[in-house]
Amino acid sequence: MTSANTEAPAALAGIRVVEFGPYVALPLTGRILGSLGAEVIKVETNKVLDEMSFIPAWSRGAGQPEYQRGKRRITLDVRTEAGRDLMLEMVRISDVFMTNFRRNVLDRWGIDFPEIRKQRPDAIIMWQTGLGGHGPYYTYKSFGILVQHLSGVSLMTGLPDEPPGVVNTSYSDYHTGVFQPAGIIAALMRRNLTGKTATLESSIFKSGVATGGPALLDYQVNGRGPQRQGNRDAWAVPHNVYACAGEDRYIAIAVSDDEQWARLRRAMGDPEWASAAEYETRLGRRRNEDALDAGIAEWTRQHESLALMETLQAAGVPAGMVSQGQDLNANAHLKSREFYQDTQYWEAQRGVKATEWTEGESVSWSIPAKMSATPIPFSKYSNIGEDNAYVFGQLLGMPDDEIERLESEGVIY
Amino acid sequence: MPRFDEYTGEHLIPPYRILDLTDRRAAFCGRLLADYGADVVKVEPPSGDPSRTLGPYPGDVPDAEQSLDFYFYNTNKRSITLDLETETGRGLFRRLAADADVIIESYDRHYLADRGIGYDDLRGDNPGLVLASVTPFGSTGEWADYAGDDLVVMAASGYMQITGEPDEPPVRQGNEHSHYPGAQYAAVGILAALYYRDFADGGVGQHIDVSSQEALITYYTDAHPALLWRKLGQNVTRVGTNSTLVIPLGAYPCQDGWIAAGVITPREWDALAEWIHEVTGNDEVLNEAYRGGNQDRAEHIDIITALFLEFAENFTVQELFHEGQRRNLVFLPVNEVADLLADPQLAESGFWYDIEHEDASIGTIKYPLGIFHSEEVSARRRPAPALGADNMAVYQGELGMTADELATLRGDGII
Repeated sequence: MTSANTEAPAALAGIRVVEFGPYVALPLTGRILGSLGAEVIKVETNKVLDEMSFIPAWSRGAGQPEYQRGKRRITLDVRTEAGRDLMLEMVRISDVFMTNFRRNVLDRWGIDFPEIRKQRPDAIIMWQTGLGGHGPYYTYKSFGILVQHLSGVSLMTGLPDEPPGVVNTSYSDYHTGVFQPAGIIAALMRRNLTGKTATLESSIFKSGVATGGPALLDYQVNGRGPQRQGNRDAWAVPHNVYACAGEDRYIAIAVSDDEQWARLRRAMGDPEWASAAEYETRLGRRRNEDALDAGIAEWTRQHESLALMETLQAAGVPAGMVSQGQDLNANAHLKSREFYQDTQYWEAQRGVKATEWTEGESVSWSIPAKMSATPIPFSKYSNIGEDNAYVFGQLLGMPDDEIERLESEGVIY
Repeated sequence: MPRFDEYTGEHLIPPYRILDLTDRRAAFCGRLLADYGADVVKVEPPSGDPSRTLGPYPGDVPDAEQSLDFYFYNTNKRSITLDLETETGRGLFRRLAADADVIIESYDRHYLADRGIGYDDLRGDNPGLVLASVTPFGSTGEWADYAGDDLVVMAASGYMQITGEPDEPPVRQGNEHSHYPGAQYAAVGILAALYYRDFADGGVGQHIDVSSQEALITYYTDAHPALLWRKLGQNVTRVGTNSTLVIPLGAYPCQDGWIAAGVITPREWDALAEWIHEVTGNDEVLNEAYRGGNQDRAEHIDIITALFLEFAENFTVQELFHEGQRRNLVFLPVNEVADLLADPQLAESGFWYDIEHEDASIGTIKYPLGIFHSEEVSARRRPAPALGADNMAVYQGELGMTADELATLRGDGII
């Protein structure tokens, strides 16, 4: 496959986006659009910093380098009159306005959607909320990790009669963050073809339910709740995780047909138990799945998970080690795809202006899509306010002394 | 772009022609694009997409035309059949590809190229073609030939490492969660590539390579195992239903189910403690030692959890949810599918779309199509297609074949 021509413009070059709001999903949308070449202007203020900066995730190097990369980051207090006017000036020269603030708050600041439309009639507006922009839960609060309960997925996970099965992350935020760029790009196409604009509302709740899978239909048609089956599968057998050598080390093995089972059997060295006739067919393996799993586990626990994965894959058996941090860091496959990149970050300190924060080193991911004709660079990661001179000076044409005056008045701050 | 002469913007995405060669691991990509307006044609082998033989089925009676799994991942697509294992079939595919905007595929990385219908073969006749490959480990690198399903991708990405109970093996997230991130990133890449081709100065298509493993790694960035290991030499763990860092946080049993709750700030704790005291009269909850931010309560997790359980057993899920929110606390129901279908917020935000199935045993059922609610655009609402439902429209109507030619192809098992 041809590799990206770094001389080519990025796919979304020429699109300008104003991003206004904290947390994960909305900034992730901006990061993706920025990596694809849009000019994303992120509006923040030192007066009210994003709480995500202060979450003690691994000395605070987690998240921000992923969510905020590839943007022009400016400081602006939109609660001031001059700040609001500058925000509206930016809207006039932008194609997209996206926010996760509530409408009554935007209205109080004079930048609610009718005003955005007035300034820029063809602006695409993306409005993201947690539970919904209107309706009975409009004022309700939520946060990421708990949405897996709200969206029905925790009761699809694990085994029947167990407590809800939980993943230790706020994955719905990421669903929302990646849905939104698709909506925005499509809305830009539609605008270019028809002259019509669109306001799109998304919510983290809806993203979580949208990815609930066929269980959503099964209940309606057959009247039954989700079939919680742990690591087992409706079709493939054996299909489970098996303990390997070492503490808390596992491998997933997923055998979907009789041929793969024969390969697994050979890879195990054709142990006598595995040659039993009942294991030859899928239905036979299903009927004896507990004994089958026990036999496989007896073998896997003598082996190290990475080596076993490579052995099984080489033998044509779908298998994957349950990766941990040291595995992901050292993984030759991910290295050759340049997935992880070194980056700087800033250690957030309460009550200290972001420009005074201490810089440190972190590791971050690149966008998990490679495009052969247009670059998706691991873009520059600016600190808060680092691009004030570019945006206010170059884009809006403000003279230096006026920028300095607004800085001293706490508007550009 | 003559294809868009009729496009008036009713749907968000213009009616781009997309050939969908994915299996269920990546089928959500085409579904997302089809739901919002793209003309997605699923190219199935004559025996049908393998997921048609997967349940669940209505009444658990296997029927390739009634797989609810196939229904979920293939709304608003059309279907043609075509045997890519035959030269005649590949010839027809080349003709379809010459007029397509996009191909999405999830075959093993050499499958299409080995048959002379890979990206480099097809773009000669169609320089504007965008071809997206969504595979477990991507199209390059040491593991590019490795095979995997949802379980394998969830394991290799490390996502499983943090799913489940701490003293039990890792467990997979039951919605087959790894089917979505790669598909979503592919949809974004496809739209960006089309934007570049048609609305910037690009003019040409390109190949898009998406690794489901990488995509899933990005979906738990707040846990960030690579960074934690590098900084502290530690690993993220499974925490089960309750968190040990934020207290209370997690899911707790109550009268008729489970309530999810998360209390982080000092103000939230004070509000919760007051409420618990109102209900239970237990003065212990007012203990000064428990006040403050969530880390301040970490050493008291057992007693606080006990206090919370004693309180929660007095209420139903809905009572705790609404009263908790009224008190400005993050209380959320732990929902079953039935609860979601009845949820007033989802109903009011235009999330569910009724889709009518011809088969009376299914009738009209709700699909989750409204990820973006908008006054200006709507999602489409066609059920997943019957196998080969659009053969005539595509082969006769578009490729100009005669009924006799079509019959011959059918007789030869090509379509």
